Amino acid sequence: MLKKQDNVTVRHSLNSRICHWIMALSFFYLLYSGVMIFLHFPELYWGKVGFQGYPAIFKLEDWGISWELAERLGDRRWGRNYHYLFAWVFVINGLVYLLWNGVRKDFYLKIFPRFSELSFKNIKRVFIFQIRFSVKNDVSMPGYNVIQKLCYVFVLFILFPFMIISGLAQMPAFTAISPELIDLFGGRQTARTLHVICSLLLVVFFIVHLVQVFASGAVTQVRTMVTGSYVGSKSEMKVQ
Amino acid sequence: MKKFQSSLKTKRARLTRREIIRRGGALTAFLITGCDSQFYKPPVVRGGLMGIADTLTMATQRSLMSNDQLVQEHDPREVTQNFPVWNQSNPEDEDYQRLKANGFEDWVLPVTGLVNNPVSISLSDLKKMSRRTQTTMHICEQGWSAIATWTGTPLLSVIQAAGGIKPEAKYVMINAFGGWYEGYDMFDVSHPQTILAYGMNGKDLPAGNGAPVRLRVERHCGYKQLKFIKSIEVVSTVEHHGRGTGGINSDFGFHWYAGA
Repeated sequence: MLKKQDNVTVRHSLNSRICHWIMALSFFYLLYSGVMIFLHFPELYWGKVGFQGYPAIFKLEDWGISWELAERLGDRRWGRNYHYLFAWVFVINGLVYLLWNGVRKDFYLKIFPRFSELSFKNIKRVFIFQIRFSVKNDVSMPGYNVIQKLCYVFVLFILFPFMIISGLAQMPAFTAISPELIDLFGGRQTARTLHVICSLLLVVFFIVHLVQVFASGAVTQVRTMVTGSYVGSKSEMKVQ
Repeated sequence: MKKFQSSLKTKRARLTRREIIRRGGALTAFLITGCDSQFYKPPVVRGGLMGIADTLTMATQRSLMSNDQLVQEHDPREVTQNFPVWNQSNPEDEDYQRLKANGFEDWVLPVTGLVNNPVSISLSDLKKMSRRTQTTMHICEQGWSAIATWTGTPLLSVIQAAGGIKPEAKYVMINAFGGWYEGYDMFDVSHPQTILAYGMNGKDLPAGNGAPVRLRVERHCGYKQLKFIKSIEVVSTVEHHGRGTGGINSDFGFHWYAGA
């Protein structure tokens, strides 16, 4: 089917493709069930304690959604069950990804930016390039640019672990297993609030990710993420 | 005939697969902990993937715990004013209202089931037994948390007052006025901070927080902290209570293990 001059390159390894789509599924369920849980108690507090009537730092009521309405929209029983189920899918999938890739040198080369890339000038150049949606030209280039690398490192090694740790810090069992963890956050309610803020950062990342995929040719990108192979010239013409 | 046999075979294979998925949670517990998996899985493991997740959560958390490890105790100055009153605040139960009208003077706590010497303990006797005071954080599964000082009798002392448990005893079922019931395994029952609390912030337990006696089982979410306690029964199986999953919360689709 493919001709030789089609310039086929393997862009995503089998493991990153499998882990990517399992991650996508668990991200969807974690976000959805997280919203369901939050709607049942739509206020955020700072410090150790917080409850209905306690000074809140965020109230959904202030945004026109009353407590009663939010409670009706949410379903915390469903939410809790699915949040835990997909938290496990997410954690196990993440560990498999790290173990599978951690032993490969090309993983580090692909994900971590090089020192030479980290100059302000270079980051600014890439940023301007991206903001004009000129990524279409970029799609044929092998590897990620410096901003993509920084984003992936931030999400994979900072936001994801932070989500897990701030989730654990909300659990009563951890008041016995490791109260230091809760103190580290400055209290149970702070951990909950940071968990929500961090999830919003992940949503922002997800939206930018989708915009980039669409801007650079959704069909090509999704196919590449499924089959692993990036097909040059021909498919690019199709997208354009 | 051959065709018939092969169709039988596929049917059997399907049933087996379904059975494996159904027992997934128990299998996970077995894989993690070997044969002695009682403290690593709920009394009844839910079907399907949910059961596997439940068991993974409980098994990992329990394997990180030891029973002499206490939950964090806070400074009494950190006690929350206006501690929330959640769920039932005044059971409509006729018996409860009668006891309440009399200031709970006639309240007695029957400790029955698989104990060597079933007893009924009055409120004044309970207060004379060994006492523990702890300032801890109450964490509700809905998201709120508050701090209070609780005073009460360790549940273990109450079980010992009834002569201790028989060898086949596995769970302690606690019944409350208003129709609530909840089961606990011996890992939680024997924890030093698991107390039957009759005092809160230095006073008698207020009506809204479960007067005259409530349970504090500190390593769990709020829904395990039973209020308005009526009786205690030591059992070998939870199947005769409610829908048979080990408590009113798990009967209605919440995880039995509430370490979260």
